Amino acid sequence: MPALIEARDLTKKYGSHLALDHANFNVEAGRIVGLIGPNGAGKTTVLRAILGLSSYAGHLRVLGRDPIAERRLLMQDACFIADVAVLPAWLRVDQAIDFVAGVHPKFRRERASQLLEKTQVKPRHRMRELSKGMKTQVHLALTMAIDARLFVLDEPTLGLDLLARRSFYDALVNDYMDETRTILITTHQVEEVENLLTDVLFIDKGRIVLDCSIDAIAERYAAVAVAADRLDVARAARPFFERQTLGKRVLYFEGADPGTLETFGEVLTPSVSDLFVAKLTGAAA
Amino acid sequence: MNTMIWLIRREFWENRAIWWMPAGIGMLLVLIALFGQVHLDADDIAQIHAAKSLHGSYLAAKMFLLLSSPFLVVMGAYASWYLLDCLYADRRDRSVLFWKSLPISDTATVLSKLAMGLIVIPLVYFAFALLTTLLLAFILSMRLTILLDAGIWSARNWLDFQMVWLYIVATLALWFLPVAAWVMLVSAWARRAVLLWTTLPLLAVMLLEHYFLSTDWFMREIWLRISYGYLVAAFSVDNATFFSPASGLRQELNPLGFVTEPQTLIGIAVGAALLIATVQLRLRRTES
Repeated sequence: MPALIEARDLTKKYGSHLALDHANFNVEAGRIVGLIGPNGAGKTTVLRAILGLSSYAGHLRVLGRDPIAERRLLMQDACFIADVAVLPAWLRVDQAIDFVAGVHPKFRRERASQLLEKTQVKPRHRMRELSKGMKTQVHLALTMAIDARLFVLDEPTLGLDLLARRSFYDALVNDYMDETRTILITTHQVEEVENLLTDVLFIDKGRIVLDCSIDAIAERYAAVAVAADRLDVARAARPFFERQTLGKRVLYFEGADPGTLETFGEVLTPSVSDLFVAKLTGAAA
Repeated sequence: MNTMIWLIRREFWENRAIWWMPAGIGMLLVLIALFGQVHLDADDIAQIHAAKSLHGSYLAAKMFLLLSSPFLVVMGAYASWYLLDCLYADRRDRSVLFWKSLPISDTATVLSKLAMGLIVIPLVYFAFALLTTLLLAFILSMRLTILLDAGIWSARNWLDFQMVWLYIVATLALWFLPVAAWVMLVSAWARRAVLLWTTLPLLAVMLLEHYFLSTDWFMREIWLRISYGYLVAAFSVDNATFFSPASGLRQELNPLGFVTEPQTLIGIAVGAALLIATVQLRLRRTES
């Protein structure tokens, strides 16, 4: 089965600035993929290209389609939440539901109404009367009521408080995700999503610097709290990043032999956020 | 087709002024007709009587046209503003990202907004003008009968007048297609100062032509398009005879001449080309 999203040499220039520099990656069906990078790394540019919202150079297929030329057909099977603030201020909640029900063949109206009944939002509310959190609930209800194969989220919880963020991700995982769906989510808040993801794509300066499943992280990467007397030996084994925490030296290795690492000190599997810091800081050093 | 209906409905939700502006004009005119002071001295009355006996019901027809001219003027201004804003507003508030997340082609979006500006909005104003002129004819006839011993109502002319309105809606849409398409192109392209961008490039072309070729062809074409060109193409009258006696309004329409007029056909071709460009821009530009 071909990948759900296939990107080869995906490149985007804004003037002389290379926002995407020959990025290569695949997204397979049934995964929850986090596209993670610092601000300005090119996350949104990747999503814009995938959703047919801006032009690009290189090869890109989403659900087997050309995102720009076939955006209308693509959007029958893909949906996205760009950001919390994009529902227009003048739109009423019931109008939004009517409209999506009118134009989207895979929208289930009852489902959207059900999801909204759990919230404080009333059908006659206009978007301008709703708080950011409530607007996100409306947008999420609209989007989750679509039987889509690919769901793309771009910084979905930006500007939300902790409670709203938590309920957002709970709804996403409990009410939406199943094996027929694929979620691609961008964020710079790694901690918020790391327990959710099955795969990570790290992006930095327009390049994909890591493309790995969460399971494979444990096999490929190790963080070793190295004892002081073993530091020189451990450093000779070429860690890609080193940092100091609570008086301990932690060295990060990729693809090293576990047996050897154990002789340096305590071996741990790095968390996604640790690995993110290690990878991006290591790359810069 | 179904999508198109939803897109049009969406425009009505967003632009509620489509309703309340013509409703406001209508109400204002009715109020003026009801309570306005009529100052007619003996001379005026004599003149009106003379005109009435000379031109017959033509006076009523011209009165309908005069009374509905506020609708035409406001409609033109509002439709222009609408078209200028239509592909820019949703980029400005970023709601374009929501609309583009739905399975609607950019061609359908652009065409729905064009149809709004050139056909739907004029038809709404038409409906309000129809209602208002009917009320006004009734009110004025009642009030003037007291002064003039005669009404100025004419059912045939009123019906004629509705046909003239529909003719105006249809021909205006075709004549102003290139103007609307140009405005939409700017609306889909500009990142700010939409109004400025609709005029600056045109002025630049005019200046360049004047400076380098010492001709003013482009300026004359543009001026003709946005000023009296429409009247010349769509009606078999000129300014001099417009207020002269005739048996009715219908004789002044020139549909055959209009659709065979090269200016009309060239305008449609230019409009179509600009629309294709607009769709292409809409495909690729979402930032403002």
